[in-house]
Amino acid sequence: MKHYRIAPSILSADFARLGEEVRQVIDAGADWIHFDVMDNHYVPNLTVGPMVCEAIRPHATVPIDVHLMVQPTDRIASDFAKAGANIISFHPEASDHIDRTLSLIRDHGCQAGLAFNPATPLHYLDHLMDRLDLILIMSVNPGFGGQSFIPEALNKLRAVRSRIDAHTAKTGREIRLQIDGGVKLDNIAAIAAAGADTFVAGSAIFGQPDYRTVIAAMRQQLVA
Amino acid sequence: MPIAKISPSLLSGDFGILAAECKRMVSHGADWLHMDVMDGHFVPNITIGAPVISCLTKHLNAFLDCHMMVSHPEKWVDDFAKAGASLYCFHIEATQDASALIDQIHAAGMKAGVAVKPKTPISTVMDLGHKMDMCLVMTVEPGFGGQRFMAECMPKVKELRAKYPDLDIEVDG
Repeated sequence: MKHYRIAPSILSADFARLGEEVRQVIDAGADWIHFDVMDNHYVPNLTVGPMVCEAIRPHATVPIDVHLMVQPTDRIASDFAKAGANIISFHPEASDHIDRTLSLIRDHGCQAGLAFNPATPLHYLDHLMDRLDLILIMSVNPGFGGQSFIPEALNKLRAVRSRIDAHTAKTGREIRLQIDGGVKLDNIAAIAAAGADTFVAGSAIFGQPDYRTVIAAMRQQLVA
Repeated sequence: MPIAKISPSLLSGDFGILAAECKRMVSHGADWLHMDVMDGHFVPNITIGAPVISCLTKHLNAFLDCHMMVSHPEKWVDDFAKAGASLYCFHIEATQDASALIDQIHAAGMKAGVAVKPKTPISTVMDLGHKMDMCLVMTVEPGFGGQRFMAECMPKVKELRAKYPDLDIEVDG
């Protein structure tokens, strides 16, 4: 049976008491902590940098999964690796040299992922499946929390799931398939059915008064 | 001459407990709170953005002195005003029309500051003294905390003070 992971996004947390938010959501059942990094250039918002990751590292007893919505990628990727990130994903269009950026991340001892915007085609996956630990499919256009899920992402998930399964059959290597954008209690089951195994949720979790209840409800949806 | 104000920089605080750190500084006598905003482009580091300021203003009511080490500072004025920033201090090196930007900041309801990097001559801001609410003279190259104070930048402060006896002149680094 697939091992599903819930990765709450701090984009929707209270940035003024982030350590406490991270501890609480982990206590409530989070598998990973998802860090949305935006630089005012690749996306029209500026969120948090490596110093914030470093500050919450002691509070996070689970992997820190960093999604870089920045351009260029390499220096910030290194800074996050040094700040304690476990997984680092970036957008292929934002890197000057995708292979080099993936190698840089892995040389730092982190897992490496590629993130795909809603309209970004999947051909970037053609020649580097063996260098990926994670593929992130965006189901909103990145920049802000609280947006609605773009249904076409389900088709994308199905396509990537086929590629991953073929790769795993051939090599024995696992690649996580992550979804981010408008993931909620009422659509998580359909998203899992389309092939996702790792679910980023921001406002769906942090917008609720009780994190434990909503995470448990999400897991119930996944099992059903 | 204006009264001296202390504005601790949260860059050296614990980002895991930002509200508590701000309250601690205020309770210990801080007049302003200096928020270092870096976008990875104007300076080679990313720190915090408007969403962080938004969360902070829900916890406390302090004077937030936002030092915008960002390119295209005109693009983020409204975001920071909505987030609750008190003062928006952009870099003279990051904009083509500082005067218009000061107007934009005032229209958004914030005070306007203009920052000058160590190698930038003070002449670049001398004509803005009657318009800006504050001038920030950097005494380190912006981007990181913990650097050595560059005393050689202090003549800029003297020159500015001589022309504008009532202007708030801030030193950072």
